[in-house]
Amino acid sequence: MRISIVIITYLCANFTFSQAGQLTGTVVLENNSPVIHAHIKIIETNHTAVTDFDGKFKIKNLTYGTYTLIISTVEANKKSFSTTIDKEKNTLTINLKRKTNKLNEVIINGKSKETEKETSGYSVNVIKTKEASIRNIQTNELLNTTVGVKIRQNGGLGSNVTYSLNGLSGSSIKIFIDGIPTSIYGSSFSLNSMPPSMIKNIEVYKGVVPGYLADDALGGAINIVLHKGAKNNFNASVSYGSFNTVQASVNGLHRFDNSGLTIKASLFNNYSDNNYKVSGRTVVTTGIGGVQTPITARRFNDVYRSTGGMAQIGFTKVNWADQFFIGFTASDDYKEVQHGAFMTIRPYKDRFLESDVLLTNLIYQKKDFITEGLAININGLYGKRNRVVNDTVATAYSWTGERAIDYKGDEYEYTWGSQQEGGPTLAKIKRQVASIRTGLSFTINENHKVLINHAYNGIDREDSDDLLSVLENTFIGTRDLYKNIYSLTYELTALEQKLRASIFGKYYHQKTISIDPAIAEDENGNNIVVDEIVSSNNKDEGYGFATSYSIVPNITLLASAEKAIRLPDETEVFGNDGDNVVANPTIQPEVSNNLNLGFRLGRFKFKNHQFTVSSNFFIRDITDRIGLPIENSLNIDDELIVYVNQGNAKSKGIDAQLNYNYNTNLGLNFNISHFDLTTTTDAGTEINIPNTPFFTMNGGLQYSIKNPFHKKTQLNLFYSIYFTGEFSYLNIPEGVGGADFFKVPEQISQDLGISYAFSDKKTVMSFDIKNIFDKPLYDNLRVQKPGRAFYLKLNYTINNY
Amino acid sequence: MKRTLLNFKTLTTTFLTISLITSCSSDDTGINTETETETETETGEESRWITVAATKMGDEAGDGNGGTLIYSITSDEAKDPSVSISPFENGFTAPSNRTARLQSSEDGSTIFNISYAGDTGGTYTKYIVEGGQTFTQSGTEVSIEPYVGTAPRWIKLFDGDQTGAAVYVSTENEISDNGTELDTSDDYYVRTNATISVVTLDLENSLINNFQEHSVPLSDEEEALGYYISRIDMPVLNDAGDKLYIGARLSKLDPETTETESDYEILGSKTIVLDYPSLLNPSVITSTVGHGNTNGYRSINAFLYDGSVYQANQSDPEGSYILKIDADNEYDDSYVFNLDDALGVEGAYILAWRPATNGKAVIAYRHDGSEEGVAGAQGFFALADLNAKTATKIDAIPYDADFYLFQYQGFVVDGTEIYVTEAPVGQNGNIYVIDTETGEVTKGAELINEEGSHFIGTF
Repeated sequence: MRISIVIITYLCANFTFSQAGQLTGTVVLENNSPVIHAHIKIIETNHTAVTDFDGKFKIKNLTYGTYTLIISTVEANKKSFSTTIDKEKNTLTINLKRKTNKLNEVIINGKSKETEKETSGYSVNVIKTKEASIRNIQTNELLNTTVGVKIRQNGGLGSNVTYSLNGLSGSSIKIFIDGIPTSIYGSSFSLNSMPPSMIKNIEVYKGVVPGYLADDALGGAINIVLHKGAKNNFNASVSYGSFNTVQASVNGLHRFDNSGLTIKASLFNNYSDNNYKVSGRTVVTTGIGGVQTPITARRFNDVYRSTGGMAQIGFTKVNWADQFFIGFTASDDYKEVQHGAFMTIRPYKDRFLESDVLLTNLIYQKKDFITEGLAININGLYGKRNRVVNDTVATAYSWTGERAIDYKGDEYEYTWGSQQEGGPTLAKIKRQVASIRTGLSFTINENHKVLINHAYNGIDREDSDDLLSVLENTFIGTRDLYKNIYSLTYELTALEQKLRASIFGKYYHQKTISIDPAIAEDENGNNIVVDEIVSSNNKDEGYGFATSYSIVPNITLLASAEKAIRLPDETEVFGNDGDNVVANPTIQPEVSNNLNLGFRLGRFKFKNHQFTVSSNFFIRDITDRIGLPIENSLNIDDELIVYVNQGNAKSKGIDAQLNYNYNTNLGLNFNISHFDLTTTTDAGTEINIPNTPFFTMNGGLQYSIKNPFHKKTQLNLFYSIYFTGEFSYLNIPEGVGGADFFKVPEQISQDLGISYAFSDKKTVMSFDIKNIFDKPLYDNLRVQKPGRAFYLKLNYTINNY
Repeated sequence: MKRTLLNFKTLTTTFLTISLITSCSSDDTGINTETETETETETGEESRWITVAATKMGDEAGDGNGGTLIYSITSDEAKDPSVSISPFENGFTAPSNRTARLQSSEDGSTIFNISYAGDTGGTYTKYIVEGGQTFTQSGTEVSIEPYVGTAPRWIKLFDGDQTGAAVYVSTENEISDNGTELDTSDDYYVRTNATISVVTLDLENSLINNFQEHSVPLSDEEEALGYYISRIDMPVLNDAGDKLYIGARLSKLDPETTETESDYEILGSKTIVLDYPSLLNPSVITSTVGHGNTNGYRSINAFLYDGSVYQANQSDPEGSYILKIDADNEYDDSYVFNLDDALGVEGAYILAWRPATNGKAVIAYRHDGSEEGVAGAQGFFALADLNAKTATKIDAIPYDADFYLFQYQGFVVDGTEIYVTEAPVGQNGNIYVIDTETGEVTKGAELINEEGSHFIGTF
């Protein structure tokens, strides 16, 4: 009923006769920050409006004349004034004075952007990076403390990372930077290298991914949202700490108010020796006859360096664009590799990886594009990225960092001629990459919204190895992968904003092309090299919904579900010559039925106490998992192994988190995540999938002291605790001996931090101690992570200069 | 939260129950063993440890990726069908990330293990067998990873449990620039160089004895066609103890493109011969009888009997042969023992085998007529005679389509008796003791299996 009235009103409004004007405006506070959810009422008519996130509002069909406006909001004092509508488009900026009286007695039902997202129905966490950017916290560390997120990292700063969301990991999880997959950027411009100060926030969608981020994300998506503001600012920071770790970043934006011309730049540099101490069953030196002596060693081949930045020029808040930028993204990194996937008695020396990327980027955003209510958002990248693995040294080194001796006491070299088994390599992968994401959203009215999104990703990949001959390199195939993903979303807000729902459909189209040079005879009987081109098309659909219902403003129920898929990658489609895996062009995508059911209670307020509790129950049910068939006597000598859709997996569990604040100076947060990751046999038995950290808890405490030494200063104290439950590399039932060997023990780590904001309001200094009790932290069957470490950071920020 | 508590409760109860049961049963075994050992000393009758090995399913039935479990009983218990053992419930998991390649001392009192893959891949450990799930680590650890990598192919030599030998091969293509370094268009493939590494290990003192590496060429003609040694395994000593034989698999690439080929002529079976213990002077010998690989899979593939080494081959287009290398360290091409002919089947493939001291052997095999079970082709046992060159399928052992022997590793030889395990994937089975002299088969202890898992032999 209500909906139909709205639609009729809407239609009528469109047919209304001219000689009426439109009033648009922005409501801001003294410091230019927008006022969200302010109510605007025109006394003389029935027109009302509510401001959006940017403080903007719009009132249409005002007959020419003079009107009285009343603006009311919880944030500021009520204001009324008169204005004249005498042309088709009238614009206003309304300045309000912030309320200063007893604000803590006002019940605020307005939602922050984060809360708005977190109550949209998806199982989503929005991580703010503001505080972390001031402290000595890496972006990955921030993610790792998020409920349901687990990071598996093979060592210290810059080492290889895989992300796990509610038990699903690897290629099931897609990472985006402003909606562009990080596979376009490569490792040099990644969560490992990007400083939190470049990032506005991080959205973590678990299981169900909205249409605007559509990709074949089976288990969820992490989207890194970069700063989009149009306000002048400058920020610089430098941090120094243990293991000779230096991290510096500079970000700035300048907008010329007259023209809207805006220049934006970010730069970062990271360096670490990562020479932290390790010990354990494989950290030994070997003497005559191979006799082993356990030692505590410092890692000696683990240097990480990354440098990069973005520079953009364009226009902001002009009539033809809210944001228009073109620019460059460039970065490169260097990472030494101390060991393989496991820490063995044989540390590597002089094996390293290098990667670089150079991209041009384009951003265009406009609300009310062409027609009112239509918003457009385009983000594109084009460029190339390269990666080189360098491993050419055969000399054996010991964990002492010195040359190792063999059983006779002589220095020696490895048979395989390199550090990692498999022989010397200078393997280079060159990729031409392109990615463009386009989103159109049409707001029919405050109840209905339709979104259409398209994402294109193209990767042309070429492999070579400088250590191989031209002949051998000639016959290495190339692999191209093109992906088009379309999505259509309908969003509904109804029942006085109590009910929010969105349903979406996604259409995936992936084309993979393999070009393998081969020998053929030409008409004269001469051998010539021809390209054998095989291509494979994969088309698939997915769909889902997310919905939330607020029983009362601070009790919200959330439910979301999606049939998600993961398209086979190029190796799964075309195989891999080196591993004797051949093409299976008919391989099907992996499919997962994902379900989230949750609630959010809060924020509740009792006197000075405030708290929010939320929880989510989830199921991920994967079928058609892609894998290699087991080796048996029929295929052991075959070159005909193909990837097949053979397995299944199921993850089910629960996430919960609690936030508590006392006054405005004490904050506590705690989260817990527990899941079972199993696979079901043909007979229906569920077996645990081992090597999965299935139980994690994180807690944090923050206390602020205002004006501790001088006026206008602030001191913040932080304490964090991280817990990862024991897990095992193999499923070993109780009663069976030998289990200790496979266990990754329970881990508890605690951090302390302090930050001090100087009275100039521009300088902040932070000091952090990580892993204060120097507890051993592990991953991947006892790959050790850094022990106790100290970091000092200095930030300098100017806003609105 | 309630749910969690309940789970903890159930877990705790289950744990307690299991540990009670386990402790009871292991106590029982302990007592039995002791009494038997005592009677043994009095009567002089021989009883030894039989260690049963089983491999647990990872995520596919029969993949054996969930760990290797071992459990020991006495040979008397092993022969007793009223005894039943359950390694998946109360065995001992060998410390190896992937399927362990186990070896045992000749008397069964010690288990030798080299961890396969993972952080300790290549680490040698030794366990004293004490019955049930009790395997007590003895001696120090030593790693052969620096010499042969984290996934070593190793075997205990038959020299009185003194020595283990592990091997590794790495290959590199040699390309000629045809005398014109800058013009790359006339480059051509010359050969693929295979470098083998061999390390020998003092099992008693956990020390590395020797290590050598060699480039091992094939004939010029073979190399020109793109053949090369791509995998080596299964070292064995000759009778004089002065030569070490290493089994080999050949692969072939297309010299035009240097890409791996899949359908090519299989050459005569080859073995690499080295001086022992110096590990020097490599040479390659070729059989004219058998064609195919001699590197086996996980079980010892070549044995010394009556002065000669008998070696099985695999992937032979004519079906597996047992080949003979004489005291002169050359193939005896007059010795023709083809399993297809002996068994009257097509495509016989020896998966594992073991002769007793009398020249009679038990062979685990499959053939073209094997049914396709959950994890691959059905396996069978045969009793063979190396002298008579005959083989007969052992019909006294029950076979099932899911009885799968590809990962089979161990046979205990106790005089003329050979102990094997028989249990289809996911089904219970038994130990069978084959009297190689009479061909008599005794059904022994019951093997309690678990879904998707299987037994891989006795040690």
